[in-house]
Order: sequence, then C-alpha cells, then structure tokens
Amino acid sequence: MTANIARGSLPSTARKPWRRFSSLSPSWVFALPALLVYAAVVLYPSLAGMVYAFTDWSGIGADKSFVGLANLTAMFHDEQAMGSIGNTLLLTVTIVAVQNGVGLLLALGVHVRLRSRAVLRVVFFAPVVVSPVMVAFLWKYIYNPDPAAGLNGLLGTHVDWLGDPSIALWSIAGTVVWQYAGYSMVIFLAGLEGIPPELHEAAMIDGAGTWQRFRYVTWPLLAPSLTINLMLSTIGGLKLFDQVFAATNGGPGYATETLSTVLYKQAFVFGKFGYSTAIALVLALFVAAVSMVQLYYLRNREVAQ
Amino acid sequence: MTDLREARMSRVQFFRMMGGLAAAAAASAACSTKPQTTTAQGQPAATQLKFVGVADQKAAMDELVAAYKQVKPAVSLTTTFAPTDQVQTSVRTQLGAGNAPDLHVVYPGDGSAMSMSQIAKAGLLADLSDQAWTQTIPTGFKPAFQSDGKTYMYSAGSSVIGAVYNTKAFQKAGIDAPPTTWTEFLAVCDKLKKAGITPIALGAQTPWVTQLITYALVPSTVYAKDPTFDDKQRAGQTSFAQSGWRQAMEMYLELQKRGFFNDNPNGTTFEQQTSMVATGKAGMAIQVSAVLPDFRKSATSPSDLSMFPVPGADSADQVWIPAGVVVGLGASAKGKNVAEAKAFIDFLGKQESINRWAKAISAIPLTQDSSSTIDPAVQSFLPFTKDRAVPFMDQRWPNAEVQPVHFAVIQELLAGKIKIDDALKKMDEAYAK
Repeated sequence: MTANIARGSLPSTARKPWRRFSSLSPSWVFALPALLVYAAVVLYPSLAGMVYAFTDWSGIGADKSFVGLANLTAMFHDEQAMGSIGNTLLLTVTIVAVQNGVGLLLALGVHVRLRSRAVLRVVFFAPVVVSPVMVAFLWKYIYNPDPAAGLNGLLGTHVDWLGDPSIALWSIAGTVVWQYAGYSMVIFLAGLEGIPPELHEAAMIDGAGTWQRFRYVTWPLLAPSLTINLMLSTIGGLKLFDQVFAATNGGPGYATETLSTVLYKQAFVFGKFGYSTAIALVLALFVAAVSMVQLYYLRNREVAQ
Repeated sequence: MTDLREARMSRVQFFRMMGGLAAAAAASAACSTKPQTTTAQGQPAATQLKFVGVADQKAAMDELVAAYKQVKPAVSLTTTFAPTDQVQTSVRTQLGAGNAPDLHVVYPGDGSAMSMSQIAKAGLLADLSDQAWTQTIPTGFKPAFQSDGKTYMYSAGSSVIGAVYNTKAFQKAGIDAPPTTWTEFLAVCDKLKKAGITPIALGAQTPWVTQLITYALVPSTVYAKDPTFDDKQRAGQTSFAQSGWRQAMEMYLELQKRGFFNDNPNGTTFEQQTSMVATGKAGMAIQVSAVLPDFRKSATSPSDLSMFPVPGADSADQVWIPAGVVVGLGASAKGKNVAEAKAFIDFLGKQESINRWAKAISAIPLTQDSSSTIDPAVQSFLPFTKDRAVPFMDQRWPNAEVQPVHFAVIQELLAGKIKIDDALKKMDEAYAK
C-alpha cells in the first residue's frame, strides 16, 4: 500500500472517461495556475536557454554564432571543469552518506520516549530553515584559523579549515551536513512514526533483540523514507553552490570548485555565457540520469520488501 | 453526487476568481508601466533615473546624488548598491536582456566582465566624448576610460596600492621612517616580528586581496625596466614567465618564507586583515588606498593609520608604484533616458564633483584645482604619480580570465601546492585565451 501511494497510482475504477475526468478535474483545475506559472517561469526559460549551449554568446550584446558541439568538447578538455566534477562527486558521496547516517541516528534518538524530544526535534531541524548563505557565513567565523577562536578554540586544534586545500572540501561538507542532517531526520522520523507498534511487539514476543528489530522491522519499513532522503541529498549535493560560493568561492586555488561554481564563474565572471550553459546542460542531464537510476533501484527495493 | 455538483460550482467560481485576479494584475501592471508625466501640483515631468553600483561607491554617490537634486530637482535618481559579485551577476543579466539601468558601475580598462572595454564593444555604453571633462583626462589614464578613442566611462580619480600601516605599531617596534628600498622593507618587517607584531596581515581567503602584493611589486620589477611591457605582451613578444613577474612572485613568497605573514593567510579574510592592522596586532597590510576608510573605521583613532609605497626595488629611484583609476560608472546606451543620464555624468565631471567624490574614497582626484584635497595618507605617493606609476595590471589584460587565475595561483602558491613556474604558466595560458 505504501508503495502504491508513493507511486501515485489511484484505485482503478470502471467509470467512463468523462466521469473519470470530472471526478479528477477539481484538483487539476486547482493545479492549473501553478502549472502554468511553472511552465512560464521554469520550463520555458530552461528549454529556451538550452539553445545558448550551442553558441558562443558572451552574455551581453547581440553578437553570437552557432558553434555546434564545440562547448561540450571544450568542457572535456577544461582542467578546471573536470577537476570540479571530481570535487562535486566527492562532496555528494560524502554528504549523502554522512547526512543520512547522522539524520537516521538523530531520528532514532528523538523517536524514543524522551521528555525533551519535542525540543530536540526543533533544535536539530532549526538549521534547515536558515538560508545556506547565512550558514556559510556563520561557519566562516567558526572555521577561523586562529587557534584561540571558533572551532579551533573549542577543540584545542590549530587547523586552517577553509584555507588548507586538502581540508577545505571536507569543511564545506561539514557545514552542509550540519545544516541538512535535521532535514533527513524529519523524513526518517515520519517513516518511523508510520511503523505500526504491533510489528515491534510481535517481534519482541518472537524474542528479537534491539538490533534484530531494527534490522528486520524498522529498516525495511523505512525504505520509502530512505528513497526520498537519498534522492534529495544526492540532487542537493550535485548542484551545491551557495555554501561553496559564500565560504571559499571555490578556493583556495581550485580546491573546492564545484560544477555549479564553475558554471557561475564562466557566465558572470569570464563572460562566456554559451560555454557556461553547456556546463549547466551537462549538469542537468547528469543529475536527471543519476536520480532516475537511483529512483529505479530504490523503488524496486521498496516493492521487494 | 452532491460533492461533484459542489465541485463543479466551485470550479466556475474558481475560474471567475482567477479571471478577476488576472484582470486586476493586468490593470495594475499597465498602471505601473505608464510613466508619470506630471506631478500633483502640475509641475513639469519628473525623470526617474536608476543607478546600480558597487558598495565602494555608496558614500560618494549618496553625497553627489543629493547635490544633483539641488541642481536639477526635476530628475530623481534612485540608487542601489551591492557587493561586486552580485552587481556583476545582476547588471550583466540586465545588459544581456536589454533592460539595464540608466546608469551602472563600470570597471576601468579591460580585463573584467564588467569592464569599460568589454561592455563598450558590445555597444551597450553611451559615448561621453562630447563632455568637457573628457578632454582633461590625463594621457596615461586614457586606456582606462576610452575604447577606440571614445570615452565610455566616468571615474573621479585614481587610487594607489601600498602598505597601510599602523603608526603606533611602527613606533612600538622602533621604526622611525617608512622603508624606501626592498632591503629596508625586509628590515622593517624583521623589527616588527621581533617586537612580537605580525609584520604583514594577509587576508588571502578574500580572492581580490591575493593580487595586491604582486600588484605592488610588479611596477618595480617589470615596468620600471620596460614601460612598454603591456604592448609587448599583447604582441606576443613577452610573457609573464619571461618577465619580472617571476621576481615579484619570488619576493611575495620570500615574505611568507621569512614568516612575515599571519598564520594561515588562505583562511584569513579581508575583514580579519583589516582588524589586525587597525588594532595594531599586525604592523601593515598591502592594500589599495580606496579601503583606507574601512581601516579607519575599525581603528581607535583614524590618525593611527597611514600609507607608504611598497619599495619593490633595491634602489629608491627604481621604485615604481601601481596607481589605477577607481571604479567608475557609465550610461546605458539602450536606456530610455540616455540624455538625462549623460547630463548627470556631465555634472559628475565638474571639478567640484570630482573633488567631492575623490575625498569620500581617499582617492587622488582625476584633475586638480586649488580646492582639491588629497588625503594625507597618500601624500607620499604623489611624487610617483607623474612618471613612475602604472595602472593596475588587469586593466590592460585582454580577457576576464587572467585575473581570477592570478587569484587562484597565489592561493595555491601560499598553500605550497604549486611552484612559481606552474603559476606563471597558468597565467600565460589564460592570457592567450
């Protein structure tokens, strides 16, 4: 049933087509204005913008000529763009793994009958509602390299969190995990609340321990939550921009450059709008492909259980 | 069945409601696009001009916009300011879409996406050549203002790059006079270090700060030896790797090797750098004079701070300095009120306006008269401005990529990730694009 609802399929009826339409139509009519707005401000500009990926437009002026696939081939020879793909993938894998791991632990923690659990849920979720740019600026202070200030002062370390090229990427992943672990927690929590207590009772009667109950009852039934969490964090990681831009602007050197910061710089700093659009196109197709594969695999897993 | 009927009814109502909303929205949009031709009192039409600029321009623009209101009450100018990145993003988008503000920020010369040359080439800047002030632009500064012999940008003057230093910290370390040669400069740093003061604060996490030390040294290591370096580089006869740029980078890294910078410059921001010098924790920072007001704001007394030219050579007469035209503004060629926008720039071109703008940002006025004032902190640079000064290097670079590459390689050099050879090679590659 869970899978059915998640898939959006409605109970089949034997009504005539018109009857079926009229029973559905109110919701469609309500959705229509939003769909029109979405089509006008998202779909149309996105599709119209794709054309620029095949031109050498500078972003200003009328001068532009069709260059075919030159931008795409240039991208695969661009050291900076290729380096940023590596950074983006590393960041995404780290964020997906750690954010969801921490989110799951937090969810399990605040799911038990603690007196302060309502407060804790709010505390863990609070960073999600802060703008990512604000979070990045806050963490810039926390990541102060001064041994007496911020995180260094707290841990008694002397680390140049954002200035050391071998650490900066992980520092950024840290801020993202800090901000969005609460988001994963809320989704897992919703999944946990939906698990009928009878199943746990039955398992306990059968002599299952805490780990076995988690492994054989909780974990399989959390599958839909896991699907959503993995997809959202993967998409978020692949198009990560705000935190990197505000915290390091891709530096030191090119150590934290992601595909999104590279495409931003190509368009607005270097004035290569056409090339930037080509990178954006590749990014969009890549995100779509990864999401589809992920969805296919994870959905199958849900149905199987 | 009742449910369905209700649903249908509500659908009709819904359409009516949406129709009403759409009509209301269309009506209000129509009203707002109609320009106001008369005021309530029946006075002549008010022209609305829009200006979008960078934060550095706010103090000067606020003052001059207020002054313009006295001169020409019929024109009202609304101003918006934001950090460079944001302005670059939004104004470029507006320029691309053909709805740029009447007046907007323009960077001098070439070499950045918002530079005079690049926007003028796209035909998006109004020609200002018929205005009287354009005739008085000093010859050395013409490349910053002009493209193909026509003036497209206004700027109130020039700023210099040098060492902003804390006079009290220097006294504490027993330094009586600013250094005039590179050897003396190193000795001053040494004295500061021995007195327990960080000699040079460097906020290299803020990208534009990374370039300032090379910019301060290159006039002496490159241009003092060959004033025509830019032209030769454009002609492909020389390159970064074959020039005094190498020496400048070696000097930059020597400062790091001797421990004259704060710890972790790559993790330190411009704001932290400013506060280190303002509070006397550090002796100096190599900075552009336009940010002197920021340093003064963080200091206990503004007189604690002054500036001296960074001596990039071992003989005082071989020391040259970087003096660049400050960020300016231009009029959109495609705007609705080009004539009024140009009239405002003409007002800014008057000597009195130039003086006021220059004073607000501690700049050296473009042209000077008896009422021009020059910030005492930059007095020591004046002997250089005649024949031993060169514009900021990026203003002559052919594309917008060289400068960001310079930022990145400096960060990589400071982190010990690359060698000077690699850095210069990367800059040459970007230059050739």
